[in-house]
Amino acid sequence: MKSLLKIFLGILTAIGGFVDIGDLVANAVIGARFGLALAWVVVLGVIGICLYADMSGRVAAVSGRGTFDLVRERLGPRMGLANLLASTFVTFLTLAAEIGGVALALELATSVSYLLFVPLVAFGVWIVVWRMPFERMEQAFGILGLCLLAFAVALWQLGPDWSQLLHQAVHPSVPDGEGHPTYVFYAISLFGAAMTPYEVFFFSSGAVEEGWSRKDLRTERLNVYIGFPLGGLLSLAIAGCAAVVLLPQGISVDHLDQVALPVVLSLGKVGFAFLIVGFVAATFGASLETALSTGYSIAQYLGWQWGKRTAPREAARFHAVVLVAIILGAMLILTTLDPVKVTEYSLVFSAVALPLTYFPILVVANDRDYMGESVNGRVVNALGTFYLVLLTVVAIVAVPLMIATKAGQ
Amino acid sequence: MAGRVRDLALHLLDRQVLDTDGRAVGNVDDVELHVPEDGSPPYVVAILTGPQALGPRLGGLLGQWLVFLSNALARNQDEEPGRIGWELVTDLGSAVTVAKSRVELGVHANEDRAREYLVDRIPGARDAGS
Repeated sequence: MKSLLKIFLGILTAIGGFVDIGDLVANAVIGARFGLALAWVVVLGVIGICLYADMSGRVAAVSGRGTFDLVRERLGPRMGLANLLASTFVTFLTLAAEIGGVALALELATSVSYLLFVPLVAFGVWIVVWRMPFERMEQAFGILGLCLLAFAVALWQLGPDWSQLLHQAVHPSVPDGEGHPTYVFYAISLFGAAMTPYEVFFFSSGAVEEGWSRKDLRTERLNVYIGFPLGGLLSLAIAGCAAVVLLPQGISVDHLDQVALPVVLSLGKVGFAFLIVGFVAATFGASLETALSTGYSIAQYLGWQWGKRTAPREAARFHAVVLVAIILGAMLILTTLDPVKVTEYSLVFSAVALPLTYFPILVVANDRDYMGESVNGRVVNALGTFYLVLLTVVAIVAVPLMIATKAGQ
Repeated sequence: MAGRVRDLALHLLDRQVLDTDGRAVGNVDDVELHVPEDGSPPYVVAILTGPQALGPRLGGLLGQWLVFLSNALARNQDEEPGRIGWELVTDLGSAVTVAKSRVELGVHANEDRAREYLVDRIPGARDAGS
């Protein structure tokens, strides 16, 4: 039981990557338009993030260094800065969207305009960063986020034709009326969502926050191999629900209420209640993940004291950066910019920064100076190199494809 | 830590500097070298840290802008980079450990300002974290 309580870093990290506000909607959009024809991308993404989160977590546990420390050391200050600017921009946009996402979930529950909730949510996120111990934070939002498993239960209750769903997933084809570029565009957004850089910033820095050492490598692996597949499962369950209920009816998804529709249909009010808790917890958790990641990466690049282990005054610049990011994020969303659109675009931009983040991790995970005996094995290196090539291809095609397909419309 | 031969770029530059309590002091943004006149190999005499050391290494407009911004925040036109004498270095691993606390080192002007003007004014700034 005790070791089960230690896996919430992985679960919270994965929730922020797989079922934050943008993905909640994107997964349902994809299910409603393509059925499960993009399920293979989720599997590909889960394997990729497991691979690299494991490396970054191992480096953090063995050497005590967060991922952005490595980025700067291996890429040098100039390339490191380019990566810092790109990934901070993406993480900040996501933070803004998540604050809006919590507010949208509250709107769904109360029918009060989400804009009224935005300042309250921003304050709540900041208070948690300022006061709440790291472990309690990840347990609270990790456990509540699991309410999203209502999607899996709903899919089960809907009693779909499993063999047909499996067929869609195993023999993916582009449905009539959808173009191949659009299909590829959604594949890239899904893959980008699975591997967003802030997941490794948060996971590795969280490992340092929790004081993991070489002894905790087992806990580290448990976190990775339970957390991320669970995130992938949630993402597939959302797409599956949409594929079973929304696709045959031709309902298109633009908002959170359509995402919730299949669950309400199959589980009624109780399902809806779980869903609201799950939506709020997942988006709130993602807000925390992105707010802290902004602070982590800037502080690590510049060598500042960071994190929640010490009193805020001991990490003054870190807390100043996080506070400013939350305020700016809330202001951005108060301009009535659509939070869901913001994450859709930020995902594509994050695809561009991916190789710059994952390359240094692969290099350092092979460095005996840091790792001693715990360097990568051959299989991990082969897979890691394969993913690096894949990430580079994705980075090159992401933006042209977004322009060509008008972001999948 | 005298007399060891190391690849400077690989093993020293851009590493994290920690103080005696394990707190972050800054990064190794640059180093001060002494080049002996008799032609023997140069050696490191000090670690330089802070935007005033990082800016020139970045070069270009971005580097100038970083130094300018930091000077503006410090309200000091020619702020010097933080300097840590090499004799204080006790360990070179994935981080560089030095034998003084960060208060004694006095290379923390910006952190002090952030604490004084913002963080200390918010209730709870002194409460220990988790």
